[in-house]
This record gives sequence, structure tokens and C-alpha cells, in this order.
Amino acid sequence: MLVPQYIVSGITSGSIYALIALGFSLIYNASRIVNFSQGEFVMLGALFTISFSQEQNLPLWIGAIASVLVVTLIGFLLESGPLRRAKSKNHLILVMLTVGASIFIQGTSMLIWGKESKTLPPIGGYDPIRVLNASFIPQTVVIIATATVLLVLLSLLFYRTKIGKAMRAVAEHPEGAALLGVPVKNLVTLSFGLSGALGAIAGILVTPLTTMSYQCGLMLGLKGFAAAVLGGFGSFSGSVLGGILLGLMESLGAGFISSTYKDAIAFLALLGILFWRPTGLFGEAKTYRV
Amino acid sequence: MKQKLVVRFLMGFTIVVLVGSISLLFAEEKKESKKDPIKIGALFALSGPASSIGTPTKLVAQMVTDKINKEGGINGRPIELVFGDTESDPTKALMVAKRLVEQEGVIALIGPTRTDSGMAIKPYIEEKGIPTIMTIGGDPVIAGGKFGSYKWTFKTPQRTSTAVRKIYGYLKKQGIKRVAIIHATDGFGRDGLSWLKDIAPEFGIELVAIESFDVNDADMTTQLTKIKSSNPEVVICWTIGPAGAKVARNFKQLALPMPLIQCHGQPDPKYIELAGTAAEGTIMPSTKLMVANQLPDSDPQKPIVLEFIRLYKDVYQFDKQYPINTHSGYAWDALMLLAQAMKKAGTDREAIRTELENIKGYVGVSGIFNLTPEDHNGLGTDSLVIVKIENASWKLLEM
Repeated sequence: MLVPQYIVSGITSGSIYALIALGFSLIYNASRIVNFSQGEFVMLGALFTISFSQEQNLPLWIGAIASVLVVTLIGFLLESGPLRRAKSKNHLILVMLTVGASIFIQGTSMLIWGKESKTLPPIGGYDPIRVLNASFIPQTVVIIATATVLLVLLSLLFYRTKIGKAMRAVAEHPEGAALLGVPVKNLVTLSFGLSGALGAIAGILVTPLTTMSYQCGLMLGLKGFAAAVLGGFGSFSGSVLGGILLGLMESLGAGFISSTYKDAIAFLALLGILFWRPTGLFGEAKTYRV
Repeated sequence: MKQKLVVRFLMGFTIVVLVGSISLLFAEEKKESKKDPIKIGALFALSGPASSIGTPTKLVAQMVTDKINKEGGINGRPIELVFGDTESDPTKALMVAKRLVEQEGVIALIGPTRTDSGMAIKPYIEEKGIPTIMTIGGDPVIAGGKFGSYKWTFKTPQRTSTAVRKIYGYLKKQGIKRVAIIHATDGFGRDGLSWLKDIAPEFGIELVAIESFDVNDADMTTQLTKIKSSNPEVVICWTIGPAGAKVARNFKQLALPMPLIQCHGQPDPKYIELAGTAAEGTIMPSTKLMVANQLPDSDPQKPIVLEFIRLYKDVYQFDKQYPINTHSGYAWDALMLLAQAMKKAGTDREAIRTELENIKGYVGVSGIFNLTPEDHNGLGTDSLVIVKIENASWKLLEM
């Protein structure tokens, strides 16, 4: 009798993680970089939308589109600025740069928006939908639908278009791709812009559930990262399923065992899965001939 | 030749540094003798997760310092606040406290913002003998026993146990016995839980379910579903910040029929803003700040609370950025208590401490303080009122 609500609750949190995990996978697929600023893109998307719609009094959807554009631009700038100008192209160093960028973005956001939590109205209001013994607000459906649509679009982009093919080539072997005339730099920049847009969309959609302040991106980013690892880093469908699975593990752990230890339960399960499948559920094990 | 140049440069540099520092020393001394201010350290969370509480506390601290100085200071000497940022981090809080005491030479401290930060600096200030009035919610700092002595530690916010007694007292009058608890897993939430458990038998209350959540969680419906199945007459939520609003929303989403009671940390316009219509009907214990205009004229606190609100809203206009909430007065009371003690005791730390312990009947923003050597808070359940949210505003339910 209680289980339906546990599952709905898990899917609600899980869909949030899934949406954020998609952004991690996108950049990883195009550049093999783990972008730890992804959580900040989420936060920026939400806070810009709040500013545009609540302070500039624009309609919500115009504010949301403007916000996605602004964060896309920030994604471009992050890549074409600090990352491209870094003297070392070592991936570890570039990853550390994204950590630095994350701290910088947090600090700047604190100065711009202050420290208070803010929120956005949910699409479809707060009136719950009841199915079986479970109730959820329409926003959850919106989040899951968006994650699914984005999953399909990203898969099409990466596996059905020339740009996607080129992006995968760049990730696999940048020098080789460049020799074949692929504009490596532009493609990497594009992937950062796209994941900025993805992060912003995630932020706008999850804020009605989570509320948002300048330091919320960090926690959301970490959960999204865990979801991406669980699903197999770089796999889009893995990201979505990994997110939902993580949410379900938390919720069922809280429901059946103890809400005090639910994070511990979820992370133990995560560790267990990674022992069993070190590349994540949908990650491909790469074999190289030496 | 090259080496000579280096040597010359080094000598020149040394001389410049020496002259510079000596003149700085003189400048410092001049300033000291001219104004002769009393330095008080004020450490709050100005960044990090608790900064939305720490920053307005700092503004109020400056506001009340200006007021004290305008009214003649401490026997003619002005108070000078030296601020420090704890970054919501206990380790940083301790470093800041040490810097304020050892480098800035402050006489006393007010702050910090969070219970864990308070616990982190407590052993240090107790050892050094620095009178410290904390503005934190948690009780352990002045609980004694296994938490260590609290000779030098005071705090202005109501004890958690006071808030728990206020809530249970209200429930007892309503004849309510079956209570469920949902609390945050952070220090504040766990402190609340332990008091809720300890005091329940005194009021004949049975705790039928206890669930917890992380303040960053997006969804608490799992815990609330479990609570619903235990069929309580009322649910008490113990957390501070936006998580409380999330609980209220999930509460409405599940259409739980019983009332929701939030802790004394939630009376804040932010709660109504974040929870929206789900905030309607929430009951909570609050300081009198939230319902100042509804207080009877016979309440001795009413003029002080109204004066505070006037300064905060009309004169300093902090209200636009940080709307008044139940916590706004804590720094006011901390500095007022300190000033009252220093007016009698001067700047001797031991004398200030003794004087603080013996303050009786100080009428503050957060309550009427009656301190004793055993009670380093001095507020009773009469300092809180029970309020209810109706039509997005605060209604005084019970004194």
C-alpha cells in the first residue's frame, strides 16, 4: 500500500538526477572531460529565469528561453576561455579547471542573486495527480517527459548526424579527427554550449521541486554525477536510467529500511553495482590492442 | 656587480618595510587614543549555506551598535565591531574566533551562526575566558554535562527545549497525544529530535513515527507516506531553511489530513514564499517579532519589538533584502546584554561574565531575559507565541 508512493517519490528525485546526468554525458561524449561546472549550469539556468520572469516581469516562457540562451553562452565562454587557453591539455588538469570555474560561478552568483533560496511556479500547478495510492504533482511528469525527449534528441544528434559523428571522432582521437579536417575546437565549444543549455533546462524544471539558491548547483551536480557514473559515463540512456535508479534506491531505502541511512544505502548500492560492472550499467568496456 | 645590486635592493627594501610598519604602528596608536573604542568580535556565516541567516544578523549587529554608540556608548566609549566570516564551516569559525581574540584583541565575542560552529569555538573561548554570546539555535553550547562547562558561553535564541515545551504545551491544551516527527539529519534537526523525544513523556505525548531527511533532498513524500500510515494526530517538522517549505509542499501533495507544525526556526516570510499555498494552516512557535502588531498593549516587549521593526524597516531599510523573520532580534539582544554588562563591569572579562550571569528582567526583542549562573539563556516559554499562517500572513494563535 505504501510502495506506490515510494516508487513515485523515487522517480521524482530520480528524474531530476537523470536530467542533470545528461549534461555530464554530453560533454564527456564530445571531449572526454568530466565537467564539474554542470551543477552550476543548472543553478544559473534557474536563477536567470527567476530574474527574467520575476524581476523583469517577462512571461515565464520567454524568461526561460532567454535564460537557456544566456547559459548556453556561458558554456561557450567556459570552453573558449579558461579551458582552451589552458597551457596543458591533460584531461585531469582540464577537469580541475572546471572545478575552479564552478567555485567562481558560485561566488559570482552569490554576489548577483544573494544568498536566499528562490523558487519558480511549477507547470500545471501544485494540485497533485493521484494514481493508485500515490500522488505526485504534474511537474514530475514534465521532468520525465523532457528527459525522455532530450534523450532521444541527443541520441539522434550523436548517432544519426554528421556533427554527432564528428563529435564522437573528436572525443575518440582529437589529433586524428583534426587531420581528417574535423573542426575540433568548434565542436568542443559547441558541446559545452549544448550542455549549458541542457543544464539550464534542468534547472528551470527542477526548481519548483527543489527551490534554488547559489549553492544548490553543487549538490545537484554531485547527484547527477553519481547518476551518470551509475548508468555508465557517456551513455545517454544510461544517464537517464542511472538517475531514476539512484532516486529509487534512495526512496526504497528510506521507505523499507531507514530514512536516516537512505543516502548510505543508495551509495552502498551504487558501489555494489560498480563492483559488478565497473563501467556502469550501460558503459561500454573499451579494449585496446597493444 | 650583480650581487651588489641585489644586496642594495634587499637593504632598501628592508628599510622601506621597517619605516612603513613603524609609521603604521604609530597611526594605529593615534587612532586608539583618540576614540578609545571597545572592540567586540562578531563572527557570522557571511558565505556558505547558512549565510542567509548570518548576513542579516551582521546587519542587525551593526544597527544596534550604532544605536548604542549614539546613546553614549559604554560609559562614553564607543563599541567597535570587528567582523569575521565563518563561511558556515566549524573549522573556519574556530580560526576566525582565534584571529579576533589574538590579533584583533577583542574583549568579547558575539556569534557564530550555526550550532556546529558554536560547538567548535566553545572549547577555545572557555579555555581563554572570552565572554561569548552566541546567536545559534542549538542547546549543547549551554547544556553542560557531556558537552563541557559553559562558564563563558551564553546564547540569546530560545533553547530548543523551550520551543519543544511551547509546542507540546499547545498540543496538550488541544488534547493531542499521538505525534509524528520528521526531522533534518543535520545538527539542528538531530538536536530537535533528541529534545522532542526527551520531553514527550512530560506532556503525555506518544511519538508514533520518527522519520528524517537530508536538507538537500528534492522529495520527502516517502517519509511522509510512512508517517501517514502511522496515523498521527499532528506532524512536527524540525528543520531550518528551505527544506521546511519542501516538507509543507509534499504534505499538501499527499493531502495529509492532520495539521503540520514547524519548529521555531521557520517563522520567516521566506517559508510562505517558497511553500506557496501549501503554507496555509501551518502552525509554529515564533518570537513576538512576527506578530508585533497583534500583541496586547500590556505586553512589556511590545514597545521594544516595535522600535526594532521601525529601525530595521524604516531607518536602515534592511527589509527589502532581508525581510524580518523570527531570528532577526538575536544579535540585538546579544549586543544589548553585553552592553548592559559592560556598563557596570567595564572591560574586565571576568567582571563582564559575572555581570551577564546576573542580568534580570532585561526586556529584549526575543523575550524577557532572566539569566542565572545555571541558565545562560534566560528565556522561558513566555518568550514564544504560537502563530498560524492564514491568507499568507501570520496570525497570533496563542500567547
